[in-house]
Amino acid sequence: MRYLRLFFTFFQAAMAARMEYRANFLAALAVVLLESAGMLFGLFLFYRNGYDLGGWRWQEALLVMAAARFLDGFFTSWLSPNLQKISERVQQGTLDFVLLKPVDSQFWVSVEQFTVWGLPSLLVGGLLLAYAAPAAGANPFYFLAGVVLGAVLFYALAFLMATTTIWFVKLYNVVNFLGAVLWNAQYPISAFDRPFRLFMTYVLPVYFMTTVPAEVALGRKGPGFLALLALLAGVFFLLSRAFWRFALRSYGSASS
Amino acid sequence: MLRKLLAFLSVYYAHMTVYRGEILFWLLTGLAPFFFMAIWVEAARQGLTDRDPLAFARYFFFVFVTRQLQVVWVTWTLSEEIRSGAFAFKLLQPLDPFWHYLAQHVAERGVRFPMIFLLLLVFLWLYPGALFWVGGGRLFLGLAASLLGFLLNFLVAYALGLLALWLEEATDLYNAWYVFFMLFSGYLAPLDLYPQAVRGVLDLTPFPYLAYLPAALWSGEPVPGVGRGFLVLLGWTLLAFLLARGLWRAGLRRFSAMGA
Repeated sequence: MRYLRLFFTFFQAAMAARMEYRANFLAALAVVLLESAGMLFGLFLFYRNGYDLGGWRWQEALLVMAAARFLDGFFTSWLSPNLQKISERVQQGTLDFVLLKPVDSQFWVSVEQFTVWGLPSLLVGGLLLAYAAPAAGANPFYFLAGVVLGAVLFYALAFLMATTTIWFVKLYNVVNFLGAVLWNAQYPISAFDRPFRLFMTYVLPVYFMTTVPAEVALGRKGPGFLALLALLAGVFFLLSRAFWRFALRSYGSASS
Repeated sequence: MLRKLLAFLSVYYAHMTVYRGEILFWLLTGLAPFFFMAIWVEAARQGLTDRDPLAFARYFFFVFVTRQLQVVWVTWTLSEEIRSGAFAFKLLQPLDPFWHYLAQHVAERGVRFPMIFLLLLVFLWLYPGALFWVGGGRLFLGLAASLLGFLLNFLVAYALGLLALWLEEATDLYNAWYVFFMLFSGYLAPLDLYPQAVRGVLDLTPFPYLAYLPAALWSGEPVPGVGRGFLVLLGWTLLAFLLARGLWRAGLRRFSAMGA
């Protein structure tokens, strides 16, 4: 309960700070709309020639794209600013202030920041879902459950990587790298050449974040697959907590 | 002038080698052409077009290379320095700050380029036999287009960055330019697969010559209208240069060195 209240306090503070850049927000909105239109056009290039990305109807492929948009919005609005802030804190030694607070430190550094730049992506994801789910006969609840679990998995992986900042200090681009791989996963996994399929399943498992929610919603994979996804997300989440605690033990507190 | 530039280059090269880890990860965030390569190779294998899979692999690898030669971040730097006031110190020097930023970018290529060879090895391992010698002429023309493309990208980013003098934050504007680049340059698919009507319009914009032209030249594909392409690219580069100069003159009067 206390954590929920803290979360909303952070959210309000961040929103107030961001409303100063309203013109920029409109620019970001236009960019996302344009980019989404372009990605739809890219998809259309395949379908207009009668190629179905390894067995996906147009509406079904749009579901994968919707999942990617949701996660991209989550990444831009929460993950990226928070994880970037961690390395800033390590550089300046202000991580100490967080560690001194009577609140779980991982919770604090994970939700403190928020930017509105990811909201247009969430909007586009919602629009795609609203069109594609009925058109493809997909179950939206399974889909959303899959996306949420995918987001947890994504968070855990990103946090694991971000934690290494305690030793390496600078990591602006490490976090962006994860976002970039996810961005590429907006096509169904079966569309990719085999080595890439393996990479996206076992090395950086973006397959589970975008394709799996669509597959479960379409009934290609049973609901049991959601349980598997939940297990995977849970394991990585616990791992990220353990690693954070381990890393803090070697945190020497800069400058102070 | 030349001596100053050389001094800048060696200083910024040393500076950039400190950030080699960062640059490596930045390089990796630009791997999108590899993923599109994977999609188109698979599609070609299923017989989508009459191009063979290795031709797609080759094309997208060179899209990646030319893109890496053209990466710029000066909008971001300018926004940051104008907002924090650090820009004022650059103005104190008896030299246009433009050269600082240009030297920074050129020197960074020296650190970035060896890393591209690592990815070349990965590429050759994934698609053995995809590369072949296209001849010195095409190699040179592709390189020339890439360098001109870099200059255009840099000038556009510089001009947009100067807008931070009015707007305080201009990085989103560069993102908009980047999205146009991504959609219309052949970054997502070879442009000859685009509908004919779309292509006719695109040929007048600078975008097809930023990725498609060099990549097609290097991968040995037929490219009609190379000369016209260079002319269009040159025209846009000139336009961007004039725009950057104009904004520089107008913007300097507005700068108040906040925070300094």
